[in-house]
Amino acid sequence: MHVLIINGSPRVKKYSNTDKILEKFTEGMCENGNTFEQYEVSDRNSWNDMRKAFNENKNILIALPLYVECIPGLLLEFLETVTPKNDGSKMAFILQSGFAEGVQLRCGEAYLEILAGKLGCEYKGCLVKGNNFSIRFLEEKDRDKTTLPYKEMGREFAANGGFDSDKCRKFTGPEIFPAYIRALVGFLFKTAGKKGFAKMAAGIGCTKPLDYRPYE
Amino acid sequence: MVLIVNTTADTSVTDELKKSLEESAVDAEIIEAYGLKISHCIGCNHCWLKTPGECAIKDDYEIILKKIIHADQLWVISDTALGFIDHKGKNIYDRILPIATMYLRFYEGQMRHVPRYDSQPDLGLIYLGDAETEYLKRWNVRAALNFERSSLGVFERTEIKEAVSCMC
Repeated sequence: MHVLIINGSPRVKKYSNTDKILEKFTEGMCENGNTFEQYEVSDRNSWNDMRKAFNENKNILIALPLYVECIPGLLLEFLETVTPKNDGSKMAFILQSGFAEGVQLRCGEAYLEILAGKLGCEYKGCLVKGNNFSIRFLEEKDRDKTTLPYKEMGREFAANGGFDSDKCRKFTGPEIFPAYIRALVGFLFKTAGKKGFAKMAAGIGCTKPLDYRPYE
Repeated sequence: MVLIVNTTADTSVTDELKKSLEESAVDAEIIEAYGLKISHCIGCNHCWLKTPGECAIKDDYEIILKKIIHADQLWVISDTALGFIDHKGKNIYDRILPIATMYLRFYEGQMRHVPRYDSQPDLGLIYLGDAETEYLKRWNVRAALNFERSSLGVFERTEIKEAVSCMC
C-alpha cells in the first residue's frame, strides 16, 4: 500500500505536534513494506504538488490538530481547491488535540466523516486522541512517551487500511475522566499546572503574566 | 453590543440586518471583513504563552479582536464549503484564541480555557449556500461552549428575520 499523507497542521513542520505523531505512526505503518509520501499544508509552496498527489493517490490519510471544534481554517482553504474524487479512493484521518478527554474531539470527528463524503472518498475512520499539547515543548525522550504509541496504530492502519478496529477506538483513552481524576486535574491546573505553563512561557521569552489583558 | 462580522462579499445581508437592527434600536456594529486582510491561525501559541492576549500575526483581525472583548454577541456571516462554513468564516473563530488564556478549568462538565476578559460573547451564525445544517448547529454549540458561552443559533440566508429576533 502506498499512502498519501497530508499533515493538516497550520504550524510549520519544525514545531508541528502532528508531524511528530506522524513520524512514529509511519514507522509502524511501513514495517511491512508500505510506502508513503507526505505534504505539509503549512507550506503553501507545496500546494500544487499536494493537489496533484491528491488526484493521483487512492489511499489518503489526513492528520490534523483540532481547531475550534473542527478542522483548521488553513486545511479547509486547501481542501476547497481540490476536485472531489469519486473514483473509489479511501480517506482516513488522525485527529489530535491538546484537551485530553475523548469527548472533546467528537464534534471534529463527526465533521471528518462528512468531509470524506464531500471529497468523494470512502471514509475509513478516524484515529482520535488528545493530550498532545506539550509534544513541541518536550525533549526527545519525554516526547517519545507521548508519540510512540502511534507506532502501533501505524501497524493497525497498515493491517486494516483504516481505523475501524477496537484497538483504534480504545486508543482514544477515557471519553470522560472519572470524577476523582477530574477533581485532581482541576486542582492541578490551579496549582502545578499554572507553574508548568509559566515555565513553558518563560522558556520562549514571555515577560508578562499569562492572564495579561492587552486590550482593556 | 452585538458584533456582526461579514466574511462574505454579499453586503445585501448586512444591509438588511442594518435596517432591521436600526428599527428595533439594537446596539450593533457591523464589520465588513471580506476585503480585510485576515490570515488563518498558524497555531504558534504565542497568544497564550509568549505575548499573552496578543496575536503574533499583525493584520486586520486585531480590529475584530478589540471589539469582541466588548461584545455580548458575536455573529459571523459566512459562505459555505464542503458542508461547513468556508475557510474565511472558520478563520474568524480560529483567530479568537487570544481572548482565552492558557489556564484550564472545568466548565459545565467540560475542560475549557479560562477566559482572559470579564465577558465573552454568545455565538450566532448566518450562512450563505449549502451546508450540513444539523452539523453546523452542533458545531456552533461546541464553539460557544469553548468560550464558556451559548449558541444563539445557526441561520440560513433566508432566515435573517429569525436571526434578528435573537439579536439584543
